[in-house]
Amino acid sequence: MTAVDSTKAEMTAPVPQMRRPWGTWALGALILFLAVTPFILVIVISFGQKIEGAGWEWDFTLANYQRFFVGALWPDEVTFLHLQRLYYALYYAVIASVLAVATAFPFTYLLTRQSRRAQSCWLVFILASLSLSEVFIVMGWDVLLSNRSGLPMLFEVSGATDWLKRTGWFEVLREWGLANPRNVKFKTSEFATILTMSYLVWPYAVILLYPALSRLDPSLTEAARTMGAGPTKVMTSVILPTVKLPLIGSTLLLFVFLLGSYVTVVVFAEPAKQTTAVAVYESVRGATLDAPFGAAQAVVLLVTAALFLVLAQFLTKRSEAR
Amino acid sequence: MRRTFGHIFMALSGLVLALPIIVVAGASLNGGRTMLFPPEDPNFARFVEFFITETIWVRALRNSLIVAFGSATLAVLLAWPLAYLLWAKGSKASKVLAGLGSLPFALPPIVFGVGLGFMWAFVGSLGAIWVGIVSHATLFLALPLVTISIGLQSIDRAHLDAAATMGATEVVTFRTVILPQTLPYSISGFFFALVLSFNEFIVMFFVSASAYATVTLQIFNSLRNGYTPTMAVAAVLFITVSIAVFSAVARWGDLPRLMGADQSRN
Repeated sequence: MTAVDSTKAEMTAPVPQMRRPWGTWALGALILFLAVTPFILVIVISFGQKIEGAGWEWDFTLANYQRFFVGALWPDEVTFLHLQRLYYALYYAVIASVLAVATAFPFTYLLTRQSRRAQSCWLVFILASLSLSEVFIVMGWDVLLSNRSGLPMLFEVSGATDWLKRTGWFEVLREWGLANPRNVKFKTSEFATILTMSYLVWPYAVILLYPALSRLDPSLTEAARTMGAGPTKVMTSVILPTVKLPLIGSTLLLFVFLLGSYVTVVVFAEPAKQTTAVAVYESVRGATLDAPFGAAQAVVLLVTAALFLVLAQFLTKRSEAR
Repeated sequence: MRRTFGHIFMALSGLVLALPIIVVAGASLNGGRTMLFPPEDPNFARFVEFFITETIWVRALRNSLIVAFGSATLAVLLAWPLAYLLWAKGSKASKVLAGLGSLPFALPPIVFGVGLGFMWAFVGSLGAIWVGIVSHATLFLALPLVTISIGLQSIDRAHLDAAATMGATEVVTFRTVILPQTLPYSISGFFFALVLSFNEFIVMFFVSASAYATVTLQIFNSLRNGYTPTMAVAAVLFITVSIAVFSAVARWGDLPRLMGADQSRN
């Protein structure tokens, strides 16, 4: 920012101006250093090379990416182990985020029709559960879903297990991996993983949908009702089209958020169905200690996340423009 | 009929939302060392352990407090000039800067954590507690940035014009008009950053390099050995703190507006 620029801005803008460009520069440099350098380092180190038994060194090799997409022994042998982990990360995140938004949408709609005071109370509760650490949420569901206490015990004691066995549903649950020979079991399973993930982002879904739904003009729905539209018709022809873009945008944001979830997957997913985030952790700090490969996996995760964020941003912009 | 159905749906959602929290709170009362629900031989022995007798938890709680208060303060101090710049100038450069400052919050924390681990290793201060504070401040910079921006936008331009007409200097306008009107929003931003920092552990894991642990990091580190009722005490403490903080924000600030509700309809 030059002196000429700042005087020009001073004349046009109706608000006070900062007169210290060096301060602005320092702030910019500090933020760039703190917020951007880490990402650049991850990208640069992903091209590095592991030294056996020591650490890693700078390099420019694509070996880490080759290992991720086709396996270390390519072209003699092809494995998709790492791609499969990315697939599971996407798979859990897609179902969980769609599920969260689908259930949070009617809730948020009803919430915005409440009094201001009631809304505040609900928001306090939702924000508190939103900020609750993933370790605590997994702890709660762990107790609820573990075999010795919680739901499986409730099934056993209430006789639901016997009822399931009599009606034949038990065999179906066993096929889905949700029962052992004696009782229902939820750990470890895709069901438990997706349930916990969707619980994890549910409060976020409410917070993200809240602005769009609370700005929904009530006269629109009233007009539709007056003209004889039923509740279903009002929902599908008035409300849903207005909030379609925020709905998709929120789903994308939650999806990106879930791509990085770690504790849920470690505790609830089967060992063969772990995700890229877990693999990053294992490579950088866990048993294998291969920082460049960990960085390469992190870059893949980063690029995937960034793609969906850009898409979400684009949709939000479009919905604001209308 | 439809209203009743709506109320039932909201109550049910609230119940599911509260379910794991209720279970954890119950499990914290266990007399033994296994996580059972309903608790066996319920008493407050685990609370005494967590807050007083077990040094590992007492120290972790102290670290959590230092990092949370330090990083939230720093985040507000960094966000203020940025939000001000964005509001006063609205230049392309300030928008880009705000966008880049929000990146760490938007992208998967594990990637940012790995990157910070590399960065602080180069700087040579991996494992220092101030590194944890600075890292969390960067991660949660986006929160005070958003709340302060909302606050600045809510200032009535007429007040600024009046101040300018009466010959107030930039500094005086800032002190008498801008600062008092945005104070509640700055405090809200501070508390959002505080609570989230309190609960965060992945980034902390990479930057602490096992030199120290916060409460959530301590739980994360002992995850493979399973959960214990003492950890459930931590969960009870954390949820209590969150509810207290957000109730305070709701009491003294405008929570619906902060969350983006329409002002014109009350």
